[in-house]
Amino acid sequence: MNQFLLQQGQSKELEAFPHIIEFALKKNNTVQLNSLDKAITDTLRIYYIIEGKFEWIINQQHHMLYPGDMALILPGQELCGENSFLDIGTLCWINIHLDKLDTSEKLIPGKWSGLSKNEALTIGNILLLNNVLVLLKVKSVAEIFQDIESELHNQEIGYRTRVNQLIDSLLILITRQLTSQNNSHRDFPQTFMKLEQMLRQNLSHQWTVEEMAALVGLGTTAFTEKAKSYTGFSPFNYLINIRISEAIKLLKRPDVNVTDIALNTGFYSSQHFSTTFRKLTGHTPREFRKLNMPNTK
Amino acid sequence: MECVITIELGTNATRVFVFDLAGNMIGFTKGSYPTFHTQPDYSEQDPEQIFITMLYVLKNLLNEKIYPQGYTVVSIVFSASMHSLLPVDKNGVPLGYAITWADTRGQKEAKELNNSLLGKDIYKATGTPIHPMSPLIKLTWLKNHDKEKFDQTDKFLSIKSYIIQQLTGECVIDYSLASATGLLNIHTLEWEPAALKHAGITADKLPALVPVFYSKFKLRKAYQTSLGLSAKTKILIGSSDGCLAALGAGIWGQKKATITIEDSGAIRIVGKDVLQDDQQRFFNYVLTKDYFISGGPTNNGGVIFEWFATQFGDFKKAFDLEHCMESLINEASKIAVGAEGLLFLPYLLGERAPIWNANARGAYFGLNIKHEQKHFIRATIEGIMYAMYSICKTLLEHREIESLSINGSFATIPFCAQMIADIFNKPVQISKNTDSAGLGAFLLGAIEMGIYKDIDEAAQTVVLTNTYMPNLQNHQIYIRHFAIFERLSTKLFDEFEEISKLQQK
Repeated sequence: MNQFLLQQGQSKELEAFPHIIEFALKKNNTVQLNSLDKAITDTLRIYYIIEGKFEWIINQQHHMLYPGDMALILPGQELCGENSFLDIGTLCWINIHLDKLDTSEKLIPGKWSGLSKNEALTIGNILLLNNVLVLLKVKSVAEIFQDIESELHNQEIGYRTRVNQLIDSLLILITRQLTSQNNSHRDFPQTFMKLEQMLRQNLSHQWTVEEMAALVGLGTTAFTEKAKSYTGFSPFNYLINIRISEAIKLLKRPDVNVTDIALNTGFYSSQHFSTTFRKLTGHTPREFRKLNMPNTK
Repeated sequence: MECVITIELGTNATRVFVFDLAGNMIGFTKGSYPTFHTQPDYSEQDPEQIFITMLYVLKNLLNEKIYPQGYTVVSIVFSASMHSLLPVDKNGVPLGYAITWADTRGQKEAKELNNSLLGKDIYKATGTPIHPMSPLIKLTWLKNHDKEKFDQTDKFLSIKSYIIQQLTGECVIDYSLASATGLLNIHTLEWEPAALKHAGITADKLPALVPVFYSKFKLRKAYQTSLGLSAKTKILIGSSDGCLAALGAGIWGQKKATITIEDSGAIRIVGKDVLQDDQQRFFNYVLTKDYFISGGPTNNGGVIFEWFATQFGDFKKAFDLEHCMESLINEASKIAVGAEGLLFLPYLLGERAPIWNANARGAYFGLNIKHEQKHFIRATIEGIMYAMYSICKTLLEHREIESLSINGSFATIPFCAQMIADIFNKPVQISKNTDSAGLGAFLLGAIEMGIYKDIDEAAQTVVLTNTYMPNLQNHQIYIRHFAIFERLSTKLFDEFEEISKLQQK
């Protein structure tokens, strides 16, 4: 591929794609001072290394990128060169604008995407939850970049649909790679332990089984089956189990009120919390608190 | 129809079994929970999660399987892993997580006590080896390193005591589980003053002692309602998983031992007297005032083979770890006994009996250019079994053992069962009921109900099947390899110390 630089607002090729902010391929032959200074954008930046060796600091972590590797910079994350310049080599990148869901921090592709709402949400969550910013050896990304470039260049019939499909494919590929790079299929207990940690850290999040499965890099059926045989619980019941255990701990501390406990541990409402809690323990959360903290109201 | 439920509060999971009054298992469920390692030598569990998991699986099993079949629950018998320690405040609220048997933070405390005369006396009195697993050592560690929590603690419980307290409001521990705390005098059945003094506590900091048949509990009304149990359902405190596994293994009467290998393992015998061992290599736990369960534990059981499979197994063909282990065993069976001179020391997790060396490490020894991957597989399994045999040999210095009863998921794999028969040169039997601890708990319940007149009668009812006979020729080959294995285990002492120091950095 030859060098190119397409920018929203300047390049006609991108007119039909307001969500593509920048799309480029660069062969960098010389080192120029301050050519890669610290920068934060509100777009999702995806870089793919074709040639050379790049030393970057992404979100304050050092990374060494080699050909075939890709870097993923989330909106609000910082990218800069190790020495503030762009190393010698060839790389391509695409900057995509993602919508924020309501007022929350959740990311979701815009209307242009063909992903179902659930899939889009899950992909957005997985991107946000993962601290892995560099993916190793994802050669198929190069093909997607190449296809996007040729679609944009040739503008044959159907190219609008094709370009958006290709971006969807790119997001799916990244998500799958992220989860499989993070999880060893050899060791489900360890994988499950990591998931459990993530669940505990985001207990108030409304987890879906699809999301949990995607996080460990499995399909929902395989995940449900494995979780069931390993823990004895369906994934959703396991989650309720953690929620109630955490809630019990909070109920034994006088300084948190029951509604807050319900919401912090991921129940829709204090009513929902109360019903679930009572079914299991026979007590309402308030009765349970009284039983364990005789000295408080 | 009536049934008995046994609840085993295990290391990785709670297992619930249901038995009809004839001792047939009619239901089973489990729910697992994680162990947290916030520091490399810490192993902790969340007592609330264990409690909720137990309630959850019990409730589901009752509602989905037991009540629909028309059963009523006459009694619930508890069993639990040994050596856990959970400090709670004056309201009974846990001060942090429970420390499990696998926690080794007290290594220094254990070493100090072990090297003292006091340590020898405490071991003799309590029957629990002086080791970081022992609650005595955990208490000493807390006193030295977390004085604030130590002082805040109103009671030091075991996980089982905590669960029972949640259900009934009573704060008790059975003599049997208490005898694994390093704090109970197994001869007088009272808390041992010298051990309490060393731990820096008084007896009122511990739960009240009761016999394993103790059942004067009242299940809280709320749990009666949520579980659908009546006020008549008895709760039995029960014993420890180790002692109950021995009871359920059919080794009552003389000259039998039982080998359990799950993740970790143990070999146990039953007797009316304790095993006195100057080198402090055995545990002696109390089941009832008439019977002691003695033996030695290993850290390195099936977990080591799982490690091997995870690292070196072929996952391209196998769907998961279990299938992968199956195909590895298949490969191993193609190699001759003795793995053509390749030896494996399985001490990846340090070792308890018989070498009691937390710094011991694993090694493959005797490699030559002809060894293939298959030899490694076989050597790994043989190494795990040699370690087991080395415990047995020390037991043989004190007791005669004519046959073995085995249980646990790893030991009962036919390939492993035959290997045990050959290495130990004893006939090996597998109990019909693969979970011996569950069966042992049922037997306790049945004795309490008067179905059997005493422990002896109950223990005789355990059915053993599938005898594996030893092959003398194989035994002779194994024994020549074992001799080298045994020497390496002690010969490498200095090198184990040095390499573990390097690894701690």
